[in-house]
Amino acid sequence: MRRTILTTTVCSLLWLMSTPAFAQVELGGTYAIRMYEDYIERGPGSFLGDFTGMPMSEEGRAKALRYSSSLPSMIERQCLAQSPWVGLYRPLAIRIWSEVDESGRVVAWVMGGDYLRDTVRIWMDGRPHPSANAWHSPSGFTTGHWEGDTLVARTTHVKTAWIRRGVGIPGSDQSTFTVFITRRENLLTIMTVQEDPIYLTEPHVVSRVWEFDPRASQGPLRDTCNVGVEIPSLEDTGEVAHYLPGQNPEEDYMVRTYNIPKEAAMGFAHTLYPEYRKTLRSIYTPPASCGRYCCGWIERQGLPGAAPGLTCNDGNLPAELRKAITGNGR
Amino acid sequence: MRPTLVVAILLMTAAVSAQGRATQAPVSTARADAPIDLTGQWVAIISEDWRWRMITPPKGDIVSIPLSLQGQQTAEAWDPGKDEAAGEQCKAYGAPGLMRGPIRMRISWQDDNTLKLETDYGIQTRLLRFGTATSAGPRSWQGITSAQWIVRGGGGRGAPRFGSLKTITDNLRPGYLRKNGVPYSERTRFTEHWDVHSLPNGDKYLVNTNIVEDPVYLQAPFQTAIHYKLERDTSKWDPTPCDARF
Repeated sequence: MRRTILTTTVCSLLWLMSTPAFAQVELGGTYAIRMYEDYIERGPGSFLGDFTGMPMSEEGRAKALRYSSSLPSMIERQCLAQSPWVGLYRPLAIRIWSEVDESGRVVAWVMGGDYLRDTVRIWMDGRPHPSANAWHSPSGFTTGHWEGDTLVARTTHVKTAWIRRGVGIPGSDQSTFTVFITRRENLLTIMTVQEDPIYLTEPHVVSRVWEFDPRASQGPLRDTCNVGVEIPSLEDTGEVAHYLPGQNPEEDYMVRTYNIPKEAAMGFAHTLYPEYRKTLRSIYTPPASCGRYCCGWIERQGLPGAAPGLTCNDGNLPAELRKAITGNGR
Repeated sequence: MRPTLVVAILLMTAAVSAQGRATQAPVSTARADAPIDLTGQWVAIISEDWRWRMITPPKGDIVSIPLSLQGQQTAEAWDPGKDEAAGEQCKAYGAPGLMRGPIRMRISWQDDNTLKLETDYGIQTRLLRFGTATSAGPRSWQGITSAQWIVRGGGGRGAPRFGSLKTITDNLRPGYLRKNGVPYSERTRFTEHWDVHSLPNGDKYLVNTNIVEDPVYLQAPFQTAIHYKLERDTSKWDPTPCDARF
């Protein structure tokens, strides 16, 4: 009897004292966006024809150039913006919560919060990825494990989607994502590495920062994509909004507006590396002035005016909208 | 069960328990205690903010940086010719601006307690010093950087060891966050968290999560994450002097 009690006590102590090895980092909470990178894409939206920073294949480029802004209004395509990690290009907060089993062990971490993004569930219970032919949602199938303070996740089973915001850059259903999520005090860093044998020529890497903020705006929370008729004249006509090859009027927008070589605007992988500056040096001249979205951070974050006195050149922001945002008409 | 056996088990359990907690054990040297390997040649992948990092944007393009009014006014007064005349063509190559640049950097151990970071872009060198504080000296583009390992795991025999590097840089000479004259002041504090992530295929990425705090030119901390890839082939190293315009 005495031996049984002692053994039970030792086993209980072993379990209790080992608990932190399983607990790892608490990720739960709401994280405010820190839109200090790719502001234009995440705020007002990218310029059509701006594929800078992308390592696209010929197929990816051709498909992106067929994109028209009316395309995502079609019912059949309204959910294509919901690839699982597109939140890195969105302007709102994210929320993370855990799902636990009856013993309190975390079975999954779940990320959601932005109305255009499907919920991502990261399974932590060691389950295998399903068959390639298994039914799956647009958010794909994700498993994770801890490496120190970093949650390493892997996403498969995604659907064809637009992987960046508002320009039609495609991702195929063969894409996979390796994701590194690190919470450090109040800062959350997420790095995604997307591999796509169809539309990319090399992994597409993005890293972003959020900051813990229980009051951060998540937008209207939905975990599914709800579709509706946006352009009645398009419905039941059989028409698919698009541009034929070579006829996209925005194909040269970045060349015309920012003097950027076309190959850089069109997302060739070699333009992402420092040595490309040798090419740029002889042909690039900065525009004489900044014409549009020059100080977006201030307008977005400044509501209703956290930066008194600033009068940045915001380009063609309509006077009424500017007045509504800033409280004055300047 | 003998009491001595119980004590032994409890001691072993305490070691297991330490796995999930931060440990800053006394170290013989920073090099010996390193939980991650930062050494090697890393190349910046300019997949974000291409138009603001790969080339010099036009004057007044301060988008996405939380400038104060004073910061905006200073940015709009940018004059690269004046910088050249003053011998300050390296203003965009100080640590807070440099790390966002189109750089290759080589990280190596200068000695057992100092990591050396060299860049080809602007031919800059920064020392990340562990341990005892260094006297400030005159302000410089790269400032004074103090470094500290943040160690996770490794508490039990054979347990995997993880971690990151935290650095804080100050004593900076005033410079630019962006090539087109977006300023930071000499009161800037630059905090960085360095993580190394590996892919199953062996590729390694370095992620630098950093915070620029400047009470003069910023109205909020400027927080970004920048990523680099480890290069096995080091032949693209291309030392290029500072340039105030391109």
